[in-house]
Amino acid sequence: MKFVTINLSPVKYYEITFSGLNLKNYFYQSIMKDFFSHKIIYIIVLLLIGIILFFGLDLLLGSVHIPFKEVIAILQGKSAEKESWEIIILKSRLPKAIAALLCGAALSVSGLQMQTLFRNPLAGPYILGISSGAGLGVALFIMGISAFGLSLSTFHIIGSYGLIVFSIVGSVGVLLILLAIINRLKDVMTVLILGIMIGSVITAIIGILQYFSGNEQLKSFIVWSMGDLSSVTLSQSFILLFVVGIGLLMAFIISKKLNAYLLGEDYAKSLGVNIKSTRLIIVLTTAILAGSVTAFCGPIGFIGIIVPHMARMLSRSSDHRILTILSILIGVNIMLLADVIAQLPGSEQSLPINSITSLIGIPFIIWIIMKNKSIKNLN
Amino acid sequence: MNPSINIENLSIGHNNVSLISNINISSSSNKLIAVIGRNGKGKSTLLKTISGLLPPIQGNINFNLKNINKIQDKERAQLLSIVLSSNHSMGNITVNDFVAYGRYPYTNWFNIHNEEDDTIIKNALQLCQLEELSERYYHELSDGEKQKVSIARVLAQNTPLIVLDEPTAHLDLINKVEILKLLKELASNHNKMIIISTHQIELALQLCNEIWVLANDEIKIRTPEELLEKDELNTLFGNENIVFNSTKKSFEVK
Repeated sequence: MKFVTINLSPVKYYEITFSGLNLKNYFYQSIMKDFFSHKIIYIIVLLLIGIILFFGLDLLLGSVHIPFKEVIAILQGKSAEKESWEIIILKSRLPKAIAALLCGAALSVSGLQMQTLFRNPLAGPYILGISSGAGLGVALFIMGISAFGLSLSTFHIIGSYGLIVFSIVGSVGVLLILLAIINRLKDVMTVLILGIMIGSVITAIIGILQYFSGNEQLKSFIVWSMGDLSSVTLSQSFILLFVVGIGLLMAFIISKKLNAYLLGEDYAKSLGVNIKSTRLIIVLTTAILAGSVTAFCGPIGFIGIIVPHMARMLSRSSDHRILTILSILIGVNIMLLADVIAQLPGSEQSLPINSITSLIGIPFIIWIIMKNKSIKNLN
Repeated sequence: MNPSINIENLSIGHNNVSLISNINISSSSNKLIAVIGRNGKGKSTLLKTISGLLPPIQGNINFNLKNINKIQDKERAQLLSIVLSSNHSMGNITVNDFVAYGRYPYTNWFNIHNEEDDTIIKNALQLCQLEELSERYYHELSDGEKQKVSIARVLAQNTPLIVLDEPTAHLDLINKVEILKLLKELASNHNKMIIISTHQIELALQLCNEIWVLANDEIKIRTPEELLEKDELNTLFGNENIVFNSTKKSFEVK
């Protein structure tokens, strides 16, 4: 065996700090090398075109026909031919489209993080009971504020933030329970089944809470639990934009840590990652993303599982810097597409969004399991 | 500075149940060290404790005069690196990107590599003769190739101490010898202390500079020559089925 002698002497170590980020270095070393060689720029451009297309379609389609030119005019702030068109676009379709966009981005990135954190290819906010945890938070919030003689409609903005905070706290709770379990049991299937059981327990607790609550509270909660994209108001969609924005930024910043997590916790630690604090940041980011979206739009299934897999298949990469960007873009595309499909019947009412995402998501999951022969081969 | 390890009054084990106690080891300079012992005697526990993955029940481990349980994770990651016995089940990662994980403790928050990082990754691939595989996907490789990729990764981490838990398990004889020779060459020519656990006692006698024998709840530090001279392996490992022949340097079935 031939040996090549190469100097591996300790290197000078210098760090490019966040504030003093060397942009030229950043561009050439990372974007050019990682993205172009993987043709990821082309994928990103295609996905961006898709987003513009579906966003436009989402604004255009609906029970009332509004001409394309008028939609553009309304968005530019000009007055339309009919006043009702302005109301439909600005109060109904625009907030709904923004909600779809944010849901897609948030749920997908949340799913990506959970799959890495739990080292489980079928993890996602819906299937592991995170959405149920958020629901319990919301139920407690609604019951709580009505104990003070208030209801959701009486104080809109504070109510919106309260909903988000309680929803996130509920999500964190479920995630921490799951983490405690996964520290003892490492098996992929066991954790999935336990996640589903936790979800059912929480649904049962919500049921009991409902049983003991008064008419007014019950009505508030049921209205919330039936909530979908169209129940989001424009002011709520801006709150959502703010919270989801923070979550996505955090996700992007911790992408290096998530990469180390892929090797397993022992290796991550040996590479200098502080496991305890990293775990907490991942849980918090996941909960902010899944919890805030669930607070306003209700539980939406399967986007969180399938989108990260699509991102991996498209990029053939496991780098979270790339996967986070692709998950956001793919997730937005799919949610907007699902919302467009929900409008297609052209009737007064649109189809429930959760049915559409399930109909898209479940066949895809079955397909990838079949393709990989076993759940354990997925990655 | 020559690498040095200094273990004082160490007790190792899981959940406060001590497996081996009162370990005192002092060893220095660049060498390949083999930890040998029967299954369940605490080889993996010892290596995990040395690498800071498992807290010691009692005692201190100092490497290059630094207590590895008292320094920051990031500082430890620049002092020692590990390869565990379980294989990774990672898809969608190329050999090059896998080896690049070694630069992790040195890069910034967004993991941007500078030219030095790239050179070190390239050198690590070259030393392990993996250049031709660098664009292949990790999960497509054979067990022997995967093991070499793992070694290239710890080389890229560029630490004075490298700990490998059973690097030769699951490999055929030719691959075993190749991996051990590679480790020996890295230890002597690149000023590293490399600690491995292995069941390949006969190979360890020929290729390692020092042997830590785990038996009877204690650790004996020996050179291969001492073990052979005193015929100790026979007392430690021989039983009614097997005997160690010190002149032939091999085990024989009775």
